[in-house]
Amino acid sequence: MTRETAASLPERTSNRHETGARDGSVKPPTHRNLGLTPSWHVGALAAAGAAALALGVWSMTQVDPLLIGGAGLIGALPPAYFIALALSLAGFVTSLSLRRLVPSLLTWQVLVTVVILDGADPIIHGLPRLEASFRHLGIADTIAQSGQLDSNLDAYFSWPGFFSLLGMLSGATGAKDLMGLATWAPIGINLLLLAPLLALARRLTANPRQAWAAVWIFYLASWVGQDYLSPQAYSFVLMLTLIACLLSVFGGWAWPTERTRFSRWLARNVTKLDGAVPRQGVLDLPRTDAAALVVVCALFLLAMTASHQLSPFAVIPILAAMLLTGRLRLRFLPVLAVLLPVGWLLFAASTFLQGHFGQLFGSLGDIGANSLGALSNRVSGSDAHLLVVYTRMAEVALVWILAAVGAFVGYRRKAPWLAAAAGAVAPLVLIPLQSYGGELLLRLYLFSLPFAVCLTVLPLMSDKSAGVGLKRALGLLVMGAVLATTTVVSRYGNDSMESFSEDEIAVVNHLYSTAPTGAILIEAVRNTPWRFQHYADYDYRALLAAEPGPNAPPLSCDAVNQIAHNAGAYLIVTQSQQNAAELRGSAPAGGLHSFVTTCAANPGWTKVFENSGGVIFHIGGVKNGK
Amino acid sequence: MASERSYLGYATAAVAVAAIPLSFVGPEGLRLAVIGLLMLAGPGTALVLLLRFAPTRSARATGALPLAIAVAIAFSLAMSTLVATAMIYARLWAPPAGVCILSAVTLAFLGLALKRPQRVEVRAK
Repeated sequence: MTRETAASLPERTSNRHETGARDGSVKPPTHRNLGLTPSWHVGALAAAGAAALALGVWSMTQVDPLLIGGAGLIGALPPAYFIALALSLAGFVTSLSLRRLVPSLLTWQVLVTVVILDGADPIIHGLPRLEASFRHLGIADTIAQSGQLDSNLDAYFSWPGFFSLLGMLSGATGAKDLMGLATWAPIGINLLLLAPLLALARRLTANPRQAWAAVWIFYLASWVGQDYLSPQAYSFVLMLTLIACLLSVFGGWAWPTERTRFSRWLARNVTKLDGAVPRQGVLDLPRTDAAALVVVCALFLLAMTASHQLSPFAVIPILAAMLLTGRLRLRFLPVLAVLLPVGWLLFAASTFLQGHFGQLFGSLGDIGANSLGALSNRVSGSDAHLLVVYTRMAEVALVWILAAVGAFVGYRRKAPWLAAAAGAVAPLVLIPLQSYGGELLLRLYLFSLPFAVCLTVLPLMSDKSAGVGLKRALGLLVMGAVLATTTVVSRYGNDSMESFSEDEIAVVNHLYSTAPTGAILIEAVRNTPWRFQHYADYDYRALLAAEPGPNAPPLSCDAVNQIAHNAGAYLIVTQSQQNAAELRGSAPAGGLHSFVTTCAANPGWTKVFENSGGVIFHIGGVKNGK
Repeated sequence: MASERSYLGYATAAVAVAAIPLSFVGPEGLRLAVIGLLMLAGPGTALVLLLRFAPTRSARATGALPLAIAVAIAFSLAMSTLVATAMIYARLWAPPAGVCILSAVTLAFLGLALKRPQRVEVRAK
């Protein structure tokens, strides 16, 4: 039973499935009574998915990483990859169009798409993406070995939840090297997202078919690449589960809608905008089970708070939006969502707060700097990189335009749309707070995407539970193809700097075997796959940030000599550093190469190791110490 | 459907019991598989069985199954995180003990699920 009675339902409903189930007059349109689909159709589609998977994986094994240029992976992918991608997209749309909705077939098709779109790291490179992945492994290793937090080292130790989890896994299994876990994380995390995404989409759309289409679009439009072994990816799984759980079990108004003038006005307008909102079914648990789930939801918030700086703050406006649209009846939960991260910041992360007060609150209220300012900083670098940046902006704009059109269509069609729209827009209220190192817009896109995709499918999907017609299916396929192709460009546009080679790892390993504990290790450009071990054992420095800065000093031998003046230092220059400098424009073309050539001839500089991945120099200090 | 629930319960209990000795000793690959599975889905699966988020036919038709899977995974990850973080802040860092706590929570939930009257079911629409 849903909490809404059949009597409260208007005659015309956008969700015949649920209405029929409620009044008991119509059989619920499960897969058993939507008509027969021959089993061989299902089998053929599953086989087509398997063929797409095999072709996609094979095509990725044929990629030569050396051919990956400034535009990223797309220039190095063989035509077979795109055939596999097209086959997987067509397979999903055809599966969705069957008269009988087969969840296992749709799950298989989504899995195939996820592997083809997100499997480049393990299949092509065999190593984790992003230097941050390596750092995260190092933090987990430090915690596993010492069981202590050094909050003075960096911010990660003030939000140690996720790293403690990895540390416990490592410590309890004896697995010292979690590199494999980090390498396969993009596929693993996207698969972990499937259930919460589907549960959420089911609560924001009119029927299961729309929900599956929305989930599929999410994977096709999720180019941000935060799905690596990271606290934000972990928190995103918890966040989606939390919201799906709340909407499913605790939907409804948090106060009597007739109590005050404001509540009457709010309920009236919400109903006027989207009459489908209160008609959405919710799970009806026994009181004790519901109470237990409230505790579970609070634990989700607490685990998120202990793990990541931004995600808990993103939950607050989303919960507030659900509260104000009559989709969340636990009014204390948004309050708890505020108290936990603020309390954590004041008490558990007080060391970080004291040292970074200006950074945290310096741009408070500066909407321009936090949005367009941060965005314009990213529009820089080589011509090929600019193309990637513009593609990303176009993809975001496309998703948002489609979502806006979907919201309008939903309003006109009296289909559920308001909760999805509120969830999509709500994270944007974080813009005035700070730029989050220039990444805020990227993160906000990701937070809003699960809601926005529920709107993007509305113009192309019927509110009825029956299959998708040919025209709508073709429209869906075209939209999916455009988004997927764009995502190949936008997601892997920085591949030359974000992926690493075995040779680079060999250079780093040699550095650790050579440099004594406590030595100063210098990277020319901040983009080195290091710190996955000995995170706290060395003094790590960088000469240049990967992104160009207004006051960034040019690369010079003097800067290195100055750092190495007292006790000496080691300098590491790698291929991906060079790629990062050229891609983002933080150093002039060939600047890093001439820096190495020039400085190598300086007195006191000794080449320690070199391979195709990079080079290590030792620079002697006054004390001639290592 | 009741047999599906039983098999899931037995499998979860087996993982929880096996994780206890494996958190101290055993081949690395096996320890990683069993303990990894416990941390990923152990306590949450037991909770879902306790709360009757069972994969019943009605649940499958109305979307409760993805929610049950999501809650099972998220609760397990959250519990693992909170146990590990609490050990860090309490300066009692002992990863095998953390795994034993997770196993105990899992088995406790499964025990409560066994004791619970069968008639209590989630009604989903």
